Amino acid sequence: MSNANADAQSTLRNLSYRQGLAVGTVGVFVLVGLLGVIFPGSIANDLFRIITSRSTLSSALRLSVPIVFAALGGIFAEKSGVINIGLEGLLIISAFTGVLVTDLVGASSSVFFVPAVWVGFLAGILASTLFSLLFAIVCIEFRADQIIAGLAVWLIALGLAPFAANVKYGSPNSDNLGSAGTFDQWTIPVLSDIPVLGAVFDATPVVYLMLLAVPLTWFVLNHTSFGKWIQASGENPKALDTVGVNVNRVRYAGVLLSGVLSGVGGAALSLSLGQFIGNGQTMVNGKGFIAIVAFLFGNYNPIGAFGASFLFAGLEAVQLRLQQVPGYAIPDTLIQTVPYVTVIVVLALVGKTKIPKAAGEHYESGDD
Amino acid sequence: MSGESESGGGRSARDALERLVGLSAVERLLISLAALVLAVLVGGVLILVSGRVATCQTAAATYFGVGFCYDPIQVYLVLFNGALGGLFALNDPALFNPNWNLFNFGLALTLKETTLLIFTGLSVAVAFRAGLFNIGTQGQLIIGALATGVTVFYASALVPASVVGGVLLITLGVTVGAVGGGLYGAIPGALKAYADANEVITTIMLNFIAARVAFVLVSEFFKNPDSQVVETTPIPDFGLLLPVSSVLPFGFPQGGDFSLIALLFGLVFVGALYYLIERTSFGYDLRTSGLQPDAAEYGGVDAKRTTVTSMALSGAIGGIGGAVWVLMVVGRWQTGVPAFGFDGITVSILAGNNPLGVIPAALLFGTLKSGSLAVQFQTGVPKQLVGVLRGLIILFVAMPEFFRLLGSRVVDFDTNEKTVTTDGGSVDDTGGDDDE
Repeated sequence: MSNANADAQSTLRNLSYRQGLAVGTVGVFVLVGLLGVIFPGSIANDLFRIITSRSTLSSALRLSVPIVFAALGGIFAEKSGVINIGLEGLLIISAFTGVLVTDLVGASSSVFFVPAVWVGFLAGILASTLFSLLFAIVCIEFRADQIIAGLAVWLIALGLAPFAANVKYGSPNSDNLGSAGTFDQWTIPVLSDIPVLGAVFDATPVVYLMLLAVPLTWFVLNHTSFGKWIQASGENPKALDTVGVNVNRVRYAGVLLSGVLSGVGGAALSLSLGQFIGNGQTMVNGKGFIAIVAFLFGNYNPIGAFGASFLFAGLEAVQLRLQQVPGYAIPDTLIQTVPYVTVIVVLALVGKTKIPKAAGEHYESGDD
Repeated sequence: MSGESESGGGRSARDALERLVGLSAVERLLISLAALVLAVLVGGVLILVSGRVATCQTAAATYFGVGFCYDPIQVYLVLFNGALGGLFALNDPALFNPNWNLFNFGLALTLKETTLLIFTGLSVAVAFRAGLFNIGTQGQLIIGALATGVTVFYASALVPASVVGGVLLITLGVTVGAVGGGLYGAIPGALKAYADANEVITTIMLNFIAARVAFVLVSEFFKNPDSQVVETTPIPDFGLLLPVSSVLPFGFPQGGDFSLIALLFGLVFVGALYYLIERTSFGYDLRTSGLQPDAAEYGGVDAKRTTVTSMALSGAIGGIGGAVWVLMVVGRWQTGVPAFGFDGITVSILAGNNPLGVIPAALLFGTLKSGSLAVQFQTGVPKQLVGVLRGLIILFVAMPEFFRLLGSRVVDFDTNEKTVTTDGGSVDDTGGDDDE
């Protein structure tokens, strides 16, 4: 009884702390806005104008897509008890496969009336899902250390995608597929004419997909029996086993879902650009790791994870716009570090997250 | 110090710990070797598959009636031979290449990579032993290299251009690199200890930050005015680790960028670190806080401080790697630092996180890296192949259960295990008595 009470209390404290953080974040924006209004012509004024502009909102949404999908996938895997730190690798492999298959099909042709971009998109998801299956087998069947196996997934993808791009294109980057190999904007009439917020209704299909996936994930996790199994598998696998649900099967499902969702994110990333860039850290550039921090910040809640991802993507969007504003002595490259620094600060502030109790541990059924 | 106040229980815990490490040594070696073989096999399949996708005039190999652009066996032979500088005569009845010379370019490249990988591998291994995943060796190496490149360049104007001046500069450079990398490594350590921020994530983020901050610092403040790319002004030759051939009539070619002194320094460093980890009370604290953090805390180890110190130590070693890269390879700091830090993860994992194991692991991975250049040049298989192998090796080492299952089908594993236990026990007895 008292134990449950203490648990509830700590949850409450955790929640209000998080809310404090969120309020603080909003507060910073309000402060920037106020300063911008009071001192026209100052950097705060420029920042305010950038933050509230339609194009910033539109690019923030676009940049959110890979982070949000990877974060949703990460929630499924970790809630089920498998820490998937290889999200970055899943994004990389699906980003490359998406472009490769679109190109192989022929960017402007179609298969059974499905345009090549969408064939590539599905192929990217498939590649990422197969990779996550490999990760699941290694972790669940062969009881590998989940962190090391996750790092391996990342490093394999980091090597494989540029390798394959080199074989096919003679460079770590793919060819640019042009507008035929890129998602079109879907503009919803009337709604897209709303000032600023209209950007939400003038976006690529993957943005709409993201706006659908977030509430859907929340619903599945909290209001379906599958969602309950996922949660139990990470919190109390023994209990789940007792009621006759195969824990390992639930975990396979969790990890595979992380592969599917990351695949959506990765393929969306490259097919929104029409090219795969494999130099250095590739075009994914840490988005998978940022996604992990996003869902930790969001306390494993899909809505919270979306908010955090949108914050990181928004910083990136502002950073990109700030580079175009002339007259500031701050070097672009330094501004580029802002999202990464924010991730560290957020992680330090969030501190110890309420990680599922059995996450990272192998579950051995008592049956055999 | 803490050993004397330990009760009997504490001592037996220590014995158990040592037996655990000793026991798994043989097993770990087998797992590493098996992982390597498996990675090479999977890599071979990958070469074969990509050989179907690539376009070429004539097939390099035909298996089961299907032609492939790349022949995996040929690729690995070229890789191995290239790393040795063409010791063997491939496609020729003679076994050895009569024109082979010990001091060749390929071997110099192999040893250069090995030297650098020793440092990055050690860096990752030290953190691992303390139970910390330092993925940030890359960033620590970048920062250490920058500190070395800038400091040694400015200091070179203050010392005489002589051997004494050179020794002073190199000592200074290595020290500054260690301090730079160490401070940068202490950041995730402190974040872990005092804010509970997961070090895997923070170190990865700090890698991104390091590359960009170093870029900005160099392009804004330390840029070589005579250069088009972002780099610092070259350090004069007397302050660099030069190949033996620069003073003696023999030795590895200048272009190989390999200094025997740096390799020897690395080997001595491995020994020193082994002693530090295995034989000192600091090392004991480090290992116990890695294996059993709760027990360590109970035994009076300040876990938070150990976390920060271990990460700083790990970062310092990465920083020395950066210093060696500047002083031996490029002679300045340059943007686009190669991924020695990530390779270090593989080296450490292959070595079972044992400092002594880092030497063969670094040599092995150095061979792969150096040979991959010959592979790209001679067979057209992209050198990024090594990047794939890097990940595969880690994956396979991470799944010992797989090999155990595989092994139990081939030999009766139970009897095997017993012999290992008695072996381990007798070895431990001779070593353990000194403590009393």
